[in-house]
Amino acid sequence: MLQRYWFGDVDEQGCRAAGTDPAALALRAATLRTGMESYVPIDWEIARDCGVVRTRAEYVDLLRSVCTTLAREKIARSYQARDVELLQMVRMLDELDNVINLLQERAAEWYQVTNPSFSRKYRSLPARKMLDLIRRGARGGLLDVSGEIERLTGTRSRLMREVSARADEVLPNTSALIGGLVAARLLSRAGGLSALARMPGSTIQVLGSERALFSHLRGGTPPPKHGIIFQHRRVHNAPREVRGRVARVLAAKLAIAARLDYYRGEAVPEFLNAAQARIDEAGVTA
Amino acid sequence: MIRLGNVLVSPGEGGVYGERTLDGYRVWDPYRSKLAALYTLGGGLDLTPGMRVLYLGAANGTTVSHVADYVETVYAVEFAPRPMQDLLEVARRRKNIVPIMADANRPEEYAPFMEAVDLVYQDVAQPNQVEIAEQNLAFLKPGGHLILMLKTRSVDVRRDPEEVFAEARAGLEQHLDVVDVRWLEPYHHDHAAIVCVSSIY
Repeated sequence: MLQRYWFGDVDEQGCRAAGTDPAALALRAATLRTGMESYVPIDWEIARDCGVVRTRAEYVDLLRSVCTTLAREKIARSYQARDVELLQMVRMLDELDNVINLLQERAAEWYQVTNPSFSRKYRSLPARKMLDLIRRGARGGLLDVSGEIERLTGTRSRLMREVSARADEVLPNTSALIGGLVAARLLSRAGGLSALARMPGSTIQVLGSERALFSHLRGGTPPPKHGIIFQHRRVHNAPREVRGRVARVLAAKLAIAARLDYYRGEAVPEFLNAAQARIDEAGVTA
Repeated sequence: MIRLGNVLVSPGEGGVYGERTLDGYRVWDPYRSKLAALYTLGGGLDLTPGMRVLYLGAANGTTVSHVADYVETVYAVEFAPRPMQDLLEVARRRKNIVPIMADANRPEEYAPFMEAVDLVYQDVAQPNQVEIAEQNLAFLKPGGHLILMLKTRSVDVRRDPEEVFAEARAGLEQHLDVVDVRWLEPYHHDHAAIVCVSSIY
């Protein structure tokens, strides 16, 4: 009965070695299909008699390099550092927000000086409207700057869509519960998917509110109910008296979701349905 | 197994995952490793220098590294890419670990790399843990052992762990003789270690 092993094919007639180059062996091994009915485990001495290796140490060594090569290829195919890139994407997004706000505020100050009728009340306008106003009235440098702000705003919204789509892919379960953008922010604050997957729900609940948390731990102030997860409508739309409960339940489910994302890497509908129901339940006022 | 006082340790180069060392030995913490918990509770099957082991559910390779300190060769099977990266790093520094990226549910994927082994150690968070063990018996030598770390909560969180265990045990007994059973309290909750031996034909 023919047995197809990583180092060659073996049957009653003998052994046909597949060479000793790890890369070539890995390439061949990736195509091997074995049925388990007539399978016989390897006797490494066949590989020696076949001329592939001389000693047991050489056998294990060669096998290790073939398996390592295969594993590396599989890893590369399966995620290509997609969460690492997501981390950078979301940090860039937050940085863009900062920069846009700064520039916008400065532009408003400038514009106010050149145009005294642009008084305080305009400052409460939505950013976009205010920018339009400035662009219509400004000249020279200020006009250039407001053009840049406009462009940055466009960049920001494109990047935001990209972050959201990437998060759906890298964090399918977490994103399903809390939305891609907030999921990506949690990932960024935790420092990576493996770190997030190891966090307890109570930590996830207050991620992003470290200042309030430590001020509470030092004593005197009430504990924070929520950090980044407040950005999700489920938390900030919840009635005040149940907001803490919603945040807590949501965070507990997010901890499970992050582990599913890390260890399984795909959406798990049964979990998601049950979790959604539980979170909705937490938001019901008595 | 090597113990310094009451502390379970393993020989080998330290600094794999930040474990403590004691007199040049690596401390093997029962709270982190289920296999260490089994040994600390006085159960299990001693690891010996000549052993070949198939380790299913190798994860980040922390327990694998301790097993590798004791035995001849470890075939470490892990499915998820991220833990696999850590495992590869562990395997780079321990020459007797063969890292295999495959699904323990599909032994045909890694059969072309496998020898017969003296011990199959399984620690996977899957609902069909017993079925996975059965499929991997193809790699076990006659008279070889299986240590199954039954995660009862992975089989079904809503069912009573004792009940899940009884069912698993009955399943295993169709193929193997159960020689030792231990719940891993207080180190790990709702985990049972089941040690089995295959009959010699």
